[in-house]
Amino acid sequence: MTQVLLSLLALSGLGALLAFFLEVADSYLGFYGECQIRINEGEKELQVSGGGTLLSSLMDQGIFIPSACGGRGSCGYCKVQVLEGGGPLLPTETPYLEPEEVKGNVRLSCQIKVRRDIDIEIPSELFLIKEFRTQVEGMRNLTDDIKELRLRLIEPDTITFKPGQYIQFQVPEYEQCPESVYRAYSIASAAHEPTGITLVVTRVPEGLATTFIHEVLREGEEIFLNGPYGEFYLRDSAREIFFVAGGSGLAPVMSMLSQMAEEKITRNATLVFGARQKKGLFYVEEIEALKERLPNLKVIFALSNPEEEDRWDGERGRVTDVLEKIIKNGANKEAYLCGSPAMVEACVELLTKKGISQELIFYDKFA
Amino acid sequence: MDDRPVKQSPELDRIERNMRPMYLCQQGFLGYERRKLIEILTDDQGTVNSLGLSHEVIAQRLRAITDEARKGLGDPVVLEEKFEVEVQEARGKIPCPWGHPGLYPKTHVKLERIETGETLVWSDLGIHLIEEHGFYQGRGSPYRVDPAEVKRILEI
Repeated sequence: MTQVLLSLLALSGLGALLAFFLEVADSYLGFYGECQIRINEGEKELQVSGGGTLLSSLMDQGIFIPSACGGRGSCGYCKVQVLEGGGPLLPTETPYLEPEEVKGNVRLSCQIKVRRDIDIEIPSELFLIKEFRTQVEGMRNLTDDIKELRLRLIEPDTITFKPGQYIQFQVPEYEQCPESVYRAYSIASAAHEPTGITLVVTRVPEGLATTFIHEVLREGEEIFLNGPYGEFYLRDSAREIFFVAGGSGLAPVMSMLSQMAEEKITRNATLVFGARQKKGLFYVEEIEALKERLPNLKVIFALSNPEEEDRWDGERGRVTDVLEKIIKNGANKEAYLCGSPAMVEACVELLTKKGISQELIFYDKFA
Repeated sequence: MDDRPVKQSPELDRIERNMRPMYLCQQGFLGYERRKLIEILTDDQGTVNSLGLSHEVIAQRLRAITDEARKGLGDPVVLEEKFEVEVQEARGKIPCPWGHPGLYPKTHVKLERIETGETLVWSDLGIHLIEEHGFYQGRGSPYRVDPAEVKRILEI
């Protein structure tokens, strides 16, 4: 019996000793020294301490790659093309990559460790992304489940963005969220008022960020965000415009309409804003005020299921029903869509049937 | 079904880690379960067998309802004159904790049986988990679909 115990002790001791050696070895071998990140064939060259993830190494150098999960490998947004030095594809990346992306050396920057010099390609616009420290200036309920959040920029104190673009909002740790995460929200405010931004946030069942914004966040608190991001912005053309929005999808459209008013863009435009009942409509006064400044803007509020107390004599039906009715021929028209993925999908299908080319139908790709 | 695991393996340990809160989604997939993943899988498999159903049949029924309800573009729709179903979609996508290729839309499908008021809640990823992995999520998980409840409420 004693012999068995002694053998067990000896084995445990040996195991502990091996673990200790492994730890020590890792602390030495895991030091990769200075590594270079070469971006876009040398457009930028960064010296970083090796060992961190590509995402965090870039972020430390002020280059922000869109990421909704804060680098935990669960959103799949932080894709970059890695030409050299990325190592083999990891099993944690494959669920997020299409076969053609794998062929094109697209990788998740949050999963790759910088262990040697690395060559990457990213869109040049990402060099313009900044991190902002902001303070909550005001909050108000727009509907039962939609909240407006006004943020004053502290550092830097102004932002330049194209109306329609979005930012990544950093949700700090809180009771239900032991780690900070990021979520994307479109900017609702006007680009010509660059000292603050307004966001419109719908409460999502079980949503981490929306629960924080709706229930935890208070006026005066500081919030970090980075941006701007996105290819959803008003194209310069003479085509007639159809804006289609559902719920908080109205946010980027409000920013675009403010731009049109400010820049006196007089293109024919129609806004179709859909909700279930009248209580789901918001920014009605603001839209009316913009209409005053945009004589060629037509506004259609559509309710899919108005209550009796709404006494609604406006359009009834879903936004797709309204589009079906008002667009006879899609020639020389373009459309900007923001809403639920199902709404966007249904609108794209309808609008292409009406003859609006796919390239002239714009919507947020991060939906 | 027969290539489904019968004992907890290191692979199932890894998947179980992915299912904990905050890995892939806020609440995770296990609810208040203290049981090993293999126990949850085996237990639900037994229930499904005893109900005379299969994971595929349950998943197909849930998918058919989801596809129909999605046509409501976020509004509740009445299906088969029995169910009121609403599909809400949030931005972003979510991966399978088993690591299957592809991402699933963040959907929240709520079905209410009109005459009884009983409800079921599931997601697109939840359908995949049932169909491919026989996983109905842990007890206490917001998206757990209890096989016996599904049979009773949906009359499968």
